[in-house]
Amino acid sequence: MAKILIPTPLRQYAGRQDAVELNGSTVGEVLDALTSSFQDLRRHLYNDEGRLRSFVNVYVNDEDIRYLSKDATPVGENDTISIVPSIAGGLHAG
Amino acid sequence: MVRIETQPWETMVEHARRVYPNECCGVMLGKASNGEKRVSRAVPLDNAWQGEQRARYELRPEDLLAAEREARAQGLELIGIYHSHPDCDAYFSETDLKNSCPWYSFVVLSIQRGAFGHANSWLPNAEQTAAEKEELICGE
Repeated sequence: MAKILIPTPLRQYAGRQDAVELNGSTVGEVLDALTSSFQDLRRHLYNDEGRLRSFVNVYVNDEDIRYLSKDATPVGENDTISIVPSIAGGLHAG
Repeated sequence: MVRIETQPWETMVEHARRVYPNECCGVMLGKASNGEKRVSRAVPLDNAWQGEQRARYELRPEDLLAAEREARAQGLELIGIYHSHPDCDAYFSETDLKNSCPWYSFVVLSIQRGAFGHANSWLPNAEQTAAEKEELICGE
């Protein structure tokens, strides 16, 4: 089972747990298992088109899955998945 | 409501003044309960924006991941993000909104001519179309 760490503001939608262990051989399968177990989480992670929201990054251990195989990135039982937001801003665009 | 204790507040203001006229950014760690968020630690992070930093900031996701791990190790929670607006009010700009995340409080510090002016805290929505002002108490 892979462990997925739940960001603090989302724990209220995950049974107040800070981490959940789930079955799945890829990141996509583990995320599916997560949002099937905790359906309220889904709208916080995915948009109406079923894609991860633009500010959501997923890491396996220290690696961003965008630079691996995205949802198809394999995970083993000793792997930890983290949900990390993209954050930027400032006074002006450009 | 977000309450920032004296030490982290001083860290945030000092950081914003030090990098003036550029924007600073960092994270706020603490505890949340019963609708009140209490910040006990501020962690300055690098502004990773590749370009003019007087009007832009960007956090590296790896730095956020490290901050989240540090918070867990200390029994704290990642409460929010802070950044500065040099020579501008502490509003939540269109750029702030379009690059935000609705999970956290966003504290904006206005730095005027190198000195602290005022600050506001904002709660963006999931669609990144609006941000609600949040009560902010600093330095207590």
